[in-house]
Amino acid sequence: MLDGLFTGLTTAIMPFNLLMVVVGCFAGTFIGMLPGLGPISAVALMIPITYGLDPSSGIILMAGVYYGAVFGGSTSSILINAPGCASTVVTAFDGYPLAQQNKAGKALALAAYSSFTGGTIGAIILLFAAPFLASVSLSFQSGDYFALMLLGLTAVAAFSGKGQTLKAMIMTVFGLMIATVGTDLMSGTTRFTFGNVNLIDGVSFLLLAMATFALAEVLMSVMKGAHREQDQAMDTEALGSMKLSRDEVKEVAPTVARSSVFGFLVGVLPGAGATIASFLAYGLERNLASAKQKLQFGKGALRGLAAPESANNAASTGSFVPLLTLGIPGSGTTAIMLGALIAYGIQPGPRLFMDNPDVFWSVIISMYFGNLVLLILNLPLIPYISRLLAIPRPILIPLILFFSITGVYLVSFNTFDIHMMVAITVIALGLKLLDFPMAPMLLGFILGGILENNLSRALTLSDGSFSFLWERPLTLSICLITLALLFLPALRSLLDMKARNQEVPGANVGEG
Amino acid sequence: MMLSKDQIGSLVFLCLSLSYGYYAGKIPLLPGDEFEPFHAQTLPYALAGLGVLFSFLLLASSSMAGSRSEAKSSNASLDFSLVAKLLALIVLFAIALQWIGFLLATTMFLIGGYWLLGERRPKVLILASLPFAAGIWGVLTQLLNIYLAPGQLLIMVTGG
Repeated sequence: MLDGLFTGLTTAIMPFNLLMVVVGCFAGTFIGMLPGLGPISAVALMIPITYGLDPSSGIILMAGVYYGAVFGGSTSSILINAPGCASTVVTAFDGYPLAQQNKAGKALALAAYSSFTGGTIGAIILLFAAPFLASVSLSFQSGDYFALMLLGLTAVAAFSGKGQTLKAMIMTVFGLMIATVGTDLMSGTTRFTFGNVNLIDGVSFLLLAMATFALAEVLMSVMKGAHREQDQAMDTEALGSMKLSRDEVKEVAPTVARSSVFGFLVGVLPGAGATIASFLAYGLERNLASAKQKLQFGKGALRGLAAPESANNAASTGSFVPLLTLGIPGSGTTAIMLGALIAYGIQPGPRLFMDNPDVFWSVIISMYFGNLVLLILNLPLIPYISRLLAIPRPILIPLILFFSITGVYLVSFNTFDIHMMVAITVIALGLKLLDFPMAPMLLGFILGGILENNLSRALTLSDGSFSFLWERPLTLSICLITLALLFLPALRSLLDMKARNQEVPGANVGEG
Repeated sequence: MMLSKDQIGSLVFLCLSLSYGYYAGKIPLLPGDEFEPFHAQTLPYALAGLGVLFSFLLLASSSMAGSRSEAKSSNASLDFSLVAKLLALIVLFAIALQWIGFLLATTMFLIGGYWLLGERRPKVLILASLPFAAGIWGVLTQLLNIYLAPGQLLIMVTGG
């Protein structure tokens, strides 16, 4: 492990890679500050740039952007009560009231310290947990991988929120369907190309990610009238002091420690991610608070700000565990990173640890650097970065659209890709209007090829029998967890419905 | 009768899954593939089946829940026409790239985008587009040595 750590450290401290962390954190903070654009969009916008870099630098840049975007989201939550992404919605609960009490500087500093501690604790746990998990998963066979992919896809759907499970399942299947377009690598026959030569290589991951997360998100915000809004650039004096007193540090220290470990554990679960971690950590902290402190929550409680901030950063780190060790992304953002790694010809999973130790370790080390950059450079520069938000939206939005389109065009130099991007964006907008989640689709698309390969290999080895799913205890355990995840939401909604019917006897009689 | 968002979504996916399943049957197989445990049609058929199953479940659950969140009411205040114009602008940009080249197409796309989103000052329209497009073009062609085709129309006019 020490050898790997040293390799990672030497790769991460290369001046170019350090520059990538800094650039990534800045770009991420800026994009994350824009309401409506979260870490997924920020990372998606970076994909075309990373194609010109070597894998380590590319992933380091993306990791920097990821952290930066989460931090940027917190900043806009605190300053203007407009969360940049879902995982920083909770930050606004107590962060914005603090800003209204002229304590914006303190709130930002606390958010940065909590994020730093959360990210650092997460990175340290990852340092030890990832190689251990990777070595365990080296014994996995194709059947186990297939079961694991199913678990990953089901978990994303199961954790997608109340009433969304079935929709997430449908979107996962839709993503898997898109993955089947193009040439079947095993038989060489073309599928669903309808005679169009541009589809022989299938739908490009970059195109799908940019269309669904960059283009569709921006156009969705235009549809809601975001181009008519104008953010205020923050004045340095208006922020107030950024210092925390000794008592305040004492008050939030246990909260930060608790929420960091808790956030990391939630982040490790495939599909759970930073949003759920921040909500759960806030709820946990509120429950642990005394009756008097409880009243302060929602009115500017420091613990209420520290808990979600440390939890969402630790969860962001935690979501790298399934990505780096099993090749299963823990969140939409890590799904995009998985796609980028595959585009580099690198297969994330247990072999990554052995085959590309430089990528594996440098990502882990650069996460720590990323947290450091956010604390040392970004925090003092927040008033200046937020001035970028003063660029009028009618100017900013076409520029983001331009970068999204040319990002795809400059990889293939084929204008068909732009037309296809428009078509996919229209579909994505329609699905968003119908409240269908996008991340499961991208996850299904990315895992589709690997899932089909492993299923084909496992079925061929077992002579067409599905017995490989229950013959090995490991595969059986994974399958049982998958089934539990699949049926628990259904069971929960059935129980809910039953409880509702008992509360209002005959409530649905007239509905039929 | 107004359909809820979930009902519309489930019906769309039901149609999609059925047509996907139909076209899955059209995937050409290699001789002898039909005796193999896994071939090019296996996963598509499974996905079509799952798609139909989940669509039915969503349709049934949304009908049982009796959700009355009609798609129309919540989407009434959205600016669909502006988004349609921006999408049309992107399509025009793709066509213009082929005919008039990167520099001109980008400038026109940016001016069009700014205009559609409400910017009317000619000075801003020009200053925020032409120098930007020229800068990006310069970085790509001079710094990164990427070849950007000048556009078919320009080639025809200048005689190649």
